[in-house]
Amino acid sequence: MSLVSFVRAQSAEPELLKKAIVESLELIKFDFGKKAKKIVIKPNMCYYYHPSTGEVTDPRFVGALIDVFREKLGASEILVVESDASAMTCKNAFSMLGYDEMAAEKRVTLVNLCNMKYRVVNKTIRGRDFKFHIPELFSEADLVVNVPKPKYMEVVKISCALKNFYGCNAYQNKFIYHKVLDDAIVAINESVKTHLVVLDGLVVVGKYTKRLNLVMSSEDPVSADSAVSQMMGLAPKSIGAIVLAAKKGIGISSFSPVGEFSYFKSQFPSKTLKDDLRATAANIYLQIFSEH
Amino acid sequence: MKQINLGIIGFGNEGRLLLLNSKKLKTARIEAVADLSVKARSRARNLGIPKVFEKYDDLLKDDDIAGVIISLPNFLHEEAAVKSAEAGKHILLEKPFARTVDEGEKILSAVKRNSVRLMVGYDMRFDPVLKRVHDQIADGFFGEVEIAEATNISGGPFSPRNDSVGPVKVPSWWLNKELVGGGALMDLGSHLIDLFIWYFGQVSSVDCYLKYMFRTELDDAATCILQFENGPVATVKVGWFSKGYIQSIQVCGTAKNTLVRLAPESTSSMILKGIVKKIGRGKNDPYSLELQHFVNCLLADKQPQPSGEESMRSLQAISSAYRNAKTVM
Repeated sequence: MSLVSFVRAQSAEPELLKKAIVESLELIKFDFGKKAKKIVIKPNMCYYYHPSTGEVTDPRFVGALIDVFREKLGASEILVVESDASAMTCKNAFSMLGYDEMAAEKRVTLVNLCNMKYRVVNKTIRGRDFKFHIPELFSEADLVVNVPKPKYMEVVKISCALKNFYGCNAYQNKFIYHKVLDDAIVAINESVKTHLVVLDGLVVVGKYTKRLNLVMSSEDPVSADSAVSQMMGLAPKSIGAIVLAAKKGIGISSFSPVGEFSYFKSQFPSKTLKDDLRATAANIYLQIFSEH
Repeated sequence: MKQINLGIIGFGNEGRLLLLNSKKLKTARIEAVADLSVKARSRARNLGIPKVFEKYDDLLKDDDIAGVIISLPNFLHEEAAVKSAEAGKHILLEKPFARTVDEGEKILSAVKRNSVRLMVGYDMRFDPVLKRVHDQIADGFFGEVEIAEATNISGGPFSPRNDSVGPVKVPSWWLNKELVGGGALMDLGSHLIDLFIWYFGQVSSVDCYLKYMFRTELDDAATCILQFENGPVATVKVGWFSKGYIQSIQVCGTAKNTLVRLAPESTSSMILKGIVKKIGRGKNDPYSLELQHFVNCLLADKQPQPSGEESMRSLQAISSAYRNAKTVM
C-alpha cells in the first residue's frame, strides 16, 4: 500500500500553504535528505479557466511548492511545464492564468513542451499502438512532480494525476487518442514517470465549485488517483486507467490514507446518480436537437 | 413570389448559422459564399451553395447577388462593407458595427455614396420578448422608466459553441486588441447598449469600470452606467470570465417593473424550444427574424433597422465608455 496524505491548508496565503505542503510531504515520509537540483513541475493548465473555478492548478500553489523545493531540497533549476493542446496554447495559458507573473517572481522557467527536443516513444497497450513525443527534460530531471486537480471527466470518469501527465506528450493534437483515452493515459505514464504527486485542492470542482483547502501528496500516482476517486465518491476499480495502470506496474491501486481523508471525503462536492442522469439527458438532448 | 439572392462573406460559425436560418426564407436564397479557408469553402459546397468563392471581391462582381451578409472578424468589417457598398450590394453587417467611430463613419459614407441599404446584426431587437418590452415602453406600460439593467456574463469567446461541450479553440485575432477593437464591452456590451438605445434613445453620458482578470489587453469584465437624454439611467454588466452563463434585462418604471431572464433557461423551456425548432415550427428565432426583416426591407425598398446611423450611436457610446473607463484591480 502506498501512503497518500490529506492535509488541510489554513488558507492560500503563501506561508500557510508552504506549511501545509511540508506537512503533507512529511506524512508520506518523503525523503527531504535526497537533494534534487533539477526539478520539473507539471501542473494542469487544461484551458483558460480562472484558478478560482477549480479547473486549473493555481499558480500560487505552484509558487509555494517551488519555495518548499528550494528550501528543503536545494533545487537550483526548476521548470514549470505544459504542452499546447488542440484548444489551448501555452503562450496564452501561461499569461492568462498568472503563470508568467509567478515565474518572474520565483525565478523559474516556464516551458512549452512542444518547443523542446524530444524522443519518439512507441507504446502498445492492449493491442493498441501509441506514439508520443517525450521531451528529453523529463529524463534529465532529478525530480518530476505532478501537480494535478481532482475533477470529474467524461469517458475516463476522473482527471487527476494519471490524466495530468497526458500533457507530457509534446505532440499538440493529443485528441487523436481521445477515443481510447484510458489506454493512452496508461501508455503516457509508462513513458514518463511521476516521482511525486502534490495535488492542488485549494479550490475543487465537483458537482459545484468549492474552496476545500486540500493539499494531497503521494509518491505513487496510481494510489493518488485511487484515493482521490474515493474522495469523489467513485470506486477506484470502476476507473479503467487506475485498474490498467496498476496492472502495468505503474503504481499500486490500494492506498493507506494519512491525515484528514474522512474530512475531505465528507466535504468534497461529489456528484450523485441524479447528476449523472441529468448529464446523460443533456447529452441526449444535444444529440437530438443539435443543428450542427 | 419575388426572390432575392444573397451572398455570405465569411463562412465560419456565424456564417453557417445564417445559412441555416436562410433555409426558412421563402423570399431569399443564399446563392454564394466567399471564404479564404479551403475547409469553409468545401463545407459550403457540401451544403449545396451554388457559387463558392475564395475572395469576396469575386462574389461582389456577381450581378445576381443583390445583398451580402458580412460575417467576418471585426478588423475586416470596414474594408468588406466599403467594398460591398461600392459594388452596389445591400449589406447586413454582423455586429459590432465597427471597431472605432472613424471606421463606422467610413462605412456610412460608402453606403450613402452608393445608395445601398445597411443593416447591423443586433439580433436582440428581434427577440419577441425583448421586442414586446420595447413596445410596452413606447406605449407607457411601465410609466416613466427610471432605471434599467442588462447583464450578459459568460465565457465569451471561450464558451462552448454550437452545442459543443468542452474547451474551444479561440482564433488568435480574438485576443488582439487592435484586431478585435475591444473585449467584453465591445463583444457583449454592444448588444445590450444597442438594445437600450433602441428602448430609450440618445445616450448623454457614460461611466465605465473595466477589469482584466485574465491579464490580456482586452477587458474581460465591464460595468457601464449610461445616462439617457430622456431620463433613464441604465447599468450594463458584461463579462467573459465565467464558466456559467447568465443573461437578463430589467426595466423599472413608475407603473411597473419587469425582469426578463434570457439565460439560464429552465430545462423544460429548453426542451420545448428544441422540439419546436426541430419540427420546423419555430418562427421566433431572433436570427431568423433578423434575416427575414433584412430581406423584407430590401424587397419593399425600405431601410432595415438597426441602420448604420442607428448603430453608430451604440458605437459612440462604447467609444466614450472606453475613453472614460476606470480600470479596477
